[in-house]
Amino acid sequence: MSTVAPTMRHVRGFDVVRPLSIGMLVFMMLPLVLLPLASIFIFGTSNGLDKFWAALTAPDAVFALKLSMATSFWATVFNVIFGLFAAYVLSRYNFLGRNALIVTISLPTAIPTAVAGFALLLLWGPYGTLGRLLTPHGFQLMFTAGAIILANIFVTFPLAFGVIKPVFDTMSRSLEEASATIGATRWQTFWHVTLPSLRGAIVSGALLTFARAVGEFGSTILVSGNLAGRTQTAPLYIFAKFNEGQIEAANAIAIVLALFSFLIFSVLFFARDWLDVD
Amino acid sequence: MSAPSDNAPPIATSVIGISKRFGKTGVLENINFDVAEGEVLVLLGASGSGKTTILRIIAGLEQPNRGRVMLHGRDVTELPARERGVGVIFQDYALFPKMTVEKNIGYGLRIRHRRRKEIRKTVDELLSLVQLQEHRKKYPSQLSGGQQQRVAIARTLAYNPEVLLFDEPFGALDTQTRTHLRREIRALLRRVNVPSIFITHDQEEALELGDRVAVINKGHIEQVGTPYEIYNRPATEYVATFLGAANILEGVVREDLVETECAKLQVQLDRERFRPGDRIKIVFRPEDVSVSRTEFLKTDHFKLAPAHVEEVSFVGAYERLRLRLEPPGGEECSEGETAYYLTTETPENRPHTIIATRPKPEASSAQLHIGDRVIVAITSFTVLQSS
Repeated sequence: MSTVAPTMRHVRGFDVVRPLSIGMLVFMMLPLVLLPLASIFIFGTSNGLDKFWAALTAPDAVFALKLSMATSFWATVFNVIFGLFAAYVLSRYNFLGRNALIVTISLPTAIPTAVAGFALLLLWGPYGTLGRLLTPHGFQLMFTAGAIILANIFVTFPLAFGVIKPVFDTMSRSLEEASATIGATRWQTFWHVTLPSLRGAIVSGALLTFARAVGEFGSTILVSGNLAGRTQTAPLYIFAKFNEGQIEAANAIAIVLALFSFLIFSVLFFARDWLDVD
Repeated sequence: MSAPSDNAPPIATSVIGISKRFGKTGVLENINFDVAEGEVLVLLGASGSGKTTILRIIAGLEQPNRGRVMLHGRDVTELPARERGVGVIFQDYALFPKMTVEKNIGYGLRIRHRRRKEIRKTVDELLSLVQLQEHRKKYPSQLSGGQQQRVAIARTLAYNPEVLLFDEPFGALDTQTRTHLRREIRALLRRVNVPSIFITHDQEEALELGDRVAVINKGHIEQVGTPYEIYNRPATEYVATFLGAANILEGVVREDLVETECAKLQVQLDRERFRPGDRIKIVFRPEDVSVSRTEFLKTDHFKLAPAHVEEVSFVGAYERLRLRLEPPGGEECSEGETAYYLTTETPENRPHTIIATRPKPEASSAQLHIGDRVIVAITSFTVLQSS
């Protein structure tokens, strides 16, 4: 019989695996996520804060940021309302073709964004299926802010729906039935009972949609025309400045967008618990 | 329906000839009952008997295929749930999770656009009625099951419901809390005097809660009566066996007695209902069985047959005996006469034996052991037409 050698696992009650595995996780994330992000900040501020500020406040840069926020905002408003409505219909009523509709709503996430933009062009463009009929009447949707909103709506279509629908599905029917027997109309029930239970889902669905829309590139570049100061969103601005060799200009906006998504996902992470507090 | 007599309380709710089908399966068949003002009616049935559907039809959450629902003389069959003014206490209480206790209770008045002062006053009254004043600012998830249930009741009382409907209200609770809560609710209902319909599959609950009990089986009502009536004078075999253990003896009516395989019961039956030669069933409860070592019987006992003790078990409050009946003379009880057989439907299906229970004092003063020979008599029983 040999004496049992103390294993690595427990050194005097200290679990070695814990710090090791945490360390490994962070180490793996370094080259994949953390270092790329860090380099944006390192590079962006390496020439001094004045240059950074100048790049950030350039008229086209400010315009691109504002346009991104505005188009994303309206796409979010639409998709949250639509997602709410679609989730209500699809979880409350059972009908022929219901599953087909659910799949169709979810489809835009799986379609490459360039394809989405291309599809929109083929429909609304000057020579598109519908655009051909509308253009002679002075209606040109493509290469405007409207086109960007449309593209944003398309690519973020299922996000809010996807967050809201499961909450609808798991919501006890008896809550709405109770409200009805108490004397509430459908609208009162929706407003006082259903909607409050969806608060968390609506906020996270909206944030997800917004974050995704702000970062949208593939479809936007096709439908917007990429006109600086007119239809150039923040991601397009980064791409354009990078191509022109103005790395600092691109980098300033990159920092803003990175910080912005960090903020949104922090809110998402902490707000869900906060919003769902009973 | 008979016209209410002068001293009977007025009818609050009637269900008239309700039938309901889901697709091709019939769920309810011609359901009829009344609930009087201030009365508690319990719908007792196994799961799948259709009792919940009855409740949902009264509430307006389900439409019957045939029949009518009347609330205080008003036909509400066509009205949507929100216009009926009934109070439903759901099994999961269905309290609004994002509203405080007082908001939940005031909900019915808020959606009716009552004045804030009036809502406040009503909520205060109801909070003190259900003794939840100190919990008014809490959310449902912060309350115990019993407290949530009281909020649910108060929430319906706020708008003076025509009738209260309780859907298995104690189903989600443990046995001790259950017993405690149903006494509490019974007392509360006596105070507010609102007619109520309870749904349960628990016979003990039904007997304790109900002024009357309706036993539902496979979508039809087997019997409606006071707890005493349905327990002691069951109208059907189903009612007899659903409400606890029952011994069932099959037999035949003779001129002035009832004959079963191993026994003759000297009883006069109602000549209107039973004629000589009719097949019948004699139903009696384990506690209606009296055993003695001697042939001497009390005058109001009906002698059944001698028997051997086959099993003695002590079940806490009483002693439970399984007795195997033996033919009185031997040859009278020939094997060929299958027409008269003896069965115990519950709790175990063992022919030729009956179950008897004895209270503790009797069990200890006259101890019985396996194999002892005793004389079995029954103190009360019900005779049913055998189908």
